[in-house]
Amino acid sequence: MKNKFQWNNLFLAIIVVVLVVFPFVSDSRTWTILLTQIFIFSILAMSYDILLGYTGIVSFGHAMFFGMGAYTTAVMLKRMEPSIGIFILSVVCGMLLAALISFFIGLLTLRLKSHFFAMLTLAVSGLFLVLAEKWRTVTHGNDGFTFKAPEFFKDRMMFYFVTLICLVLVYLLLQRFVNSPFGRVLVAVRENEQRTRSLGFNTLHYKVMASVVAGVIASLAGSLYAVSLRFVNTSVLTMDITLDALLMTIIGGVGTLIGPIVGAGVIELTQHYLSGLAKDYPIFERWIIFFGIVYILAVIFFPRGIVGTVREKLWKRKKKTRPVEKREVS
Amino acid sequence: MELLINLTVNGLATGMLIFLLASGLTLIFGLMSVLNFAHGGLFAWGAYSGVWFYTLSGSFLIGILGAIITGIILGFITEKLIITPVYGNHVQQILITLGFMLVLTELLKVVWGPNQMAAKVPSYLAGSWEFGDVLIIKYRLFIIIVGFVVFGVFQYMLQKTKIGLIVRAGVMDKDMVQALGINIKRVFLYVFMAGSALAALSGVLMAPYSGVIYAEMGFEFAILAFIVVVIGGMGSFPGSLFAAILVGLAGSYMAYYVPALSLAVNMMLMAIVLIFRPQGLFTGKG
Repeated sequence: MKNKFQWNNLFLAIIVVVLVVFPFVSDSRTWTILLTQIFIFSILAMSYDILLGYTGIVSFGHAMFFGMGAYTTAVMLKRMEPSIGIFILSVVCGMLLAALISFFIGLLTLRLKSHFFAMLTLAVSGLFLVLAEKWRTVTHGNDGFTFKAPEFFKDRMMFYFVTLICLVLVYLLLQRFVNSPFGRVLVAVRENEQRTRSLGFNTLHYKVMASVVAGVIASLAGSLYAVSLRFVNTSVLTMDITLDALLMTIIGGVGTLIGPIVGAGVIELTQHYLSGLAKDYPIFERWIIFFGIVYILAVIFFPRGIVGTVREKLWKRKKKTRPVEKREVS
Repeated sequence: MELLINLTVNGLATGMLIFLLASGLTLIFGLMSVLNFAHGGLFAWGAYSGVWFYTLSGSFLIGILGAIITGIILGFITEKLIITPVYGNHVQQILITLGFMLVLTELLKVVWGPNQMAAKVPSYLAGSWEFGDVLIIKYRLFIIIVGFVVFGVFQYMLQKTKIGLIVRAGVMDKDMVQALGINIKRVFLYVFMAGSALAALSGVLMAPYSGVIYAEMGFEFAILAFIVVVIGGMGSFPGSLFAAILVGLAGSYMAYYVPALSLAVNMMLMAIVLIFRPQGLFTGKG
């Protein structure tokens, strides 16, 4: 078991090294931007997976935390000076705000059954969207506003590395989180909430904390997203963002941290490729249909997603080969 | 005074449309414990196909019929393809119906194009009556009447017919109904198709009411329907009527007096109900 984990880590380390070297080898602007986008959405999808994959809660309001981070950063960079210090401050502020709000929403809603929770999060995030559209003095509504990014991020490559570092840090942190005793309890809640409660765990407390962690990380992704575009409008709060996170998590693999990253990569790349095709074949403008169908099929046939299915296959193979080896030895 | 009456009629009409949407949702939930997030998609399909039939034939009645048939067919497909494979798993149901909603919405854009479509009120329902100072728009009255008629028909079917008896019994205890030798799966299918037909009817009635239809309308209305289902109590048919009228009226008054709060008021209503009475105002007893 331990051996396998080390292989895993080695594999990941190689990928990270490749990603670090990549911008020095290739100077393709498109790819740098695309990869940056993938990193940001990987962070978002991982945070969503803490809820969906590890705790087994379906939230349809994840965009609200993403939007919170995006708006906090955008507004602070615009109103104050566009410096790196203010950026960090705004990220922290966004995270605090997300923590506070996810805490209160979680406390109110997580007692409810999955259906009600899903609906209520949908409604609350709808409320935030309306709020952002009406509060035009700050958010400029649907038109949005542009702002200056800190000088440090002007270079696309610099920003690429910042998002990559964030991704790796978030991955390591969440890895630590889900493997901690706390994370184990979350998995227990997913598997059987009543039983976990009967074992003496206050499941509400654990669920609320999971939603706070997910909200805080999503807010970070939102902050990075705003800086990457240097523009923000109400689209960061729409259902589309939640759906993106959902698709990435489901297609990549729920209940793993690599899964959402793979999912983010697959979806962003296919989206990029398909929207390129749309110039020739107009049907590809509706690329979301393909994702929808793939997503539905994934929910029915591969509920574990790409990573989960691959892991299962590998695990089965190992299980099959092992007894054979033993027999040979004996 | 006339303002108050106008707002009330307005609210009632909106409420009725939401009721048509929510009643299907509530029955499906009560019976099958499936929360159908694709319901809004069926609503939008009803609106588009209804308007399409209407412009093609020139008769609003054919438009309505076309929408209902579309709803029934789509309901059949949805139940067979989407709901049955994940029966009993709540998380998967939520995920899959949401995915199907996405597909339905995008398919609408493929079939009828991504732009908004205009929908006109048929000539015999256009215009309004004047009673002194009070102006009543005919089409709104028409929606209210249709809503009450549908409520009456369904309530009659639920209370007085055999299939209604089975449905009500199923809402209470589906295992028992099945133990009595009734194919509850088939009843599920019928209820799902009826619910989809109601959603499509709601959509086609909505089209001339708002004047334009667009693919995302399904989602916006579905949220209102969810709120209604929560307030009225899952599985309660009269509850959804009451809650829909409440939401419709609250929305219409608020839109006039405190426009900034018009959407918030519904969310707040739902939040209050969920916190103090999570089972809804009318407990789901069919």
